[in-house]
Amino acid sequence: MKLHSVLRWAVFAVAAFVMNFPILATLVTALKPPGEVTRNPSLWIESPTLENFAIVLTVSDRLNIYAYLFNSLTAALIGAILPILLCFPVAWALARRGTGRAVLFPLVVNLRALPLIIFAIPLYIMYATLGLLDTRVGLGLILAVVNLPLAFLLIVNAIQAIPLELEEAARMDGARLPRILRRVVLPLCRPAFLTTFIFGFITAWNEFLFGLMLTTQKAVPVTVGASFFFATSGGGVQWGVAAAVMIVAALPPLVLGVVMYRRIGGSMLGGAVKG
Amino acid sequence: MPRHTRRETAVLAAPLVLFLLAILGFPVILSVVYGLSETTFQTLRSPSFTGLDNFSRVIADDRFWQAAWFSLRFGVITAVLQCALGLFLAVYLAPLIARHGWTVAVLIMPMVVAPAMMGLMYRLSLHEFAGPIPHYMWQWFGWSPAFLNARNVFATVVVAETLQWTPFAFLLLLAAYQTLPRDVAEAARVDGTRPWRLFWKIELPLLMPTLWIALFIRFIDGFRVFDNIYTLVGSGPGGITTSMSIYIYEAFLRQGDIGRALAAAILLFGAAFTLLSLAQRLGRRRRAA
Repeated sequence: MKLHSVLRWAVFAVAAFVMNFPILATLVTALKPPGEVTRNPSLWIESPTLENFAIVLTVSDRLNIYAYLFNSLTAALIGAILPILLCFPVAWALARRGTGRAVLFPLVVNLRALPLIIFAIPLYIMYATLGLLDTRVGLGLILAVVNLPLAFLLIVNAIQAIPLELEEAARMDGARLPRILRRVVLPLCRPAFLTTFIFGFITAWNEFLFGLMLTTQKAVPVTVGASFFFATSGGGVQWGVAAAVMIVAALPPLVLGVVMYRRIGGSMLGGAVKG
Repeated sequence: MPRHTRRETAVLAAPLVLFLLAILGFPVILSVVYGLSETTFQTLRSPSFTGLDNFSRVIADDRFWQAAWFSLRFGVITAVLQCALGLFLAVYLAPLIARHGWTVAVLIMPMVVAPAMMGLMYRLSLHEFAGPIPHYMWQWFGWSPAFLNARNVFATVVVAETLQWTPFAFLLLLAAYQTLPRDVAEAARVDGTRPWRLFWKIELPLLMPTLWIALFIRFIDGFRVFDNIYTLVGSGPGGITTSMSIYIYEAFLRQGDIGRALAAAILLFGAAFTLLSLAQRLGRRRRAA
């Protein structure tokens, strides 16, 4: 019994170390002074410093991290909130009246399985016509499409779990549908909204392909901005600074994911089983 | 349904339907028009109709089939590896996780990092001068492979993808494992059934539906891979890590051949759609049986 417990901790430690190795290596590199990175590539830091983070967090001609972060934040908020607003009413109609069960629901849920590149090119042409290229709103709108499938699934599941009697009782009291939706259904959906939001925000923040194709300067998200650091023309990559940029870019979803890991696990099963 | 109820339902469905029509319906029409035309960035507003020319160019392009083969192989191999590892971790670590829930948070960290960032992190970790992995290889074994050369790059991207997304399979299977009825395991333990036998004969069959779902989702995501391969090696030495997504991206932005890119995208959509309907039909039959 004791032996098994030790073995389990060992398996956990190895899995955690191996799977998280790139994150760890990046963090270690970000904490090394410029001269040390190539002289000492080990995981041991001889003279730890926050210099690289100071460079990253200072606005310069080469890098304005705050602009990237602001672009990511705006686009990710649109991408996470819009699906909830769009799906809530129709999810109720689906759960209670079967609206869209034949076409709309499978269509939206199957979007999850399509390669995103299929949408990227026609959207590029459409955005070029509408002036939405290189805008945070344009990026946010397509991120909302990416998040629609899970939002729809989770909210439909949540509404199906609400006892019909609650709505019946409100109807008996003379409440009309808009009022029932707002006062009865909406409050009970809040946990599902929160899960949808967290998942959607992480997905939207981490998205790369649309940021790469649909933005060029003004609306570049931080995932794309960080990759600019590796495409330096002439001279080598400044590893320390590049590592610090990656840590800053990865931190928001990482913190959200670690704090909310229970929600992520539960929602994945709900989302997957029905899908 | 009475008429006012029907109107009510239409109002409820309108936001989502209109949004889908605007942001996906219009692009679908565009795809077809441009897919059948010769278009570059210079002639974006005035495509000239060329019929199925783009499609025949795509089908005649060896690199398109190489990309299709790459994506297929990559999707299958990574999905199987991730699900095997994820299943092992979920079942073996379940007793540990029951007492120390925080361990899950540590294990899922890779999957909440952007795949594009993960690709860059691997680029750093594997770099011959700045990377810790070659450093330790030299120190311990006096030798280090060129991880990104033509011979090793496929294995490298498979390992990178597997290590980032094993947590997904793990989390899904863990959630399913935790909902298995406890009394069966309890009864088996009292009867003196070996844990291995309990797993093989009782728990694994109960986990099969979730395992299929995990395999399917991981295959889909592996098949459509772009971000991490693109930031780690791009299309790779001699283009050997060109996935379908990377093929279309390069035809579009690097070569400016919009017609060919769209034709490839339409073919990819057709393949994905066929696969999806097949999988769903299989799933339904399984559930019915």
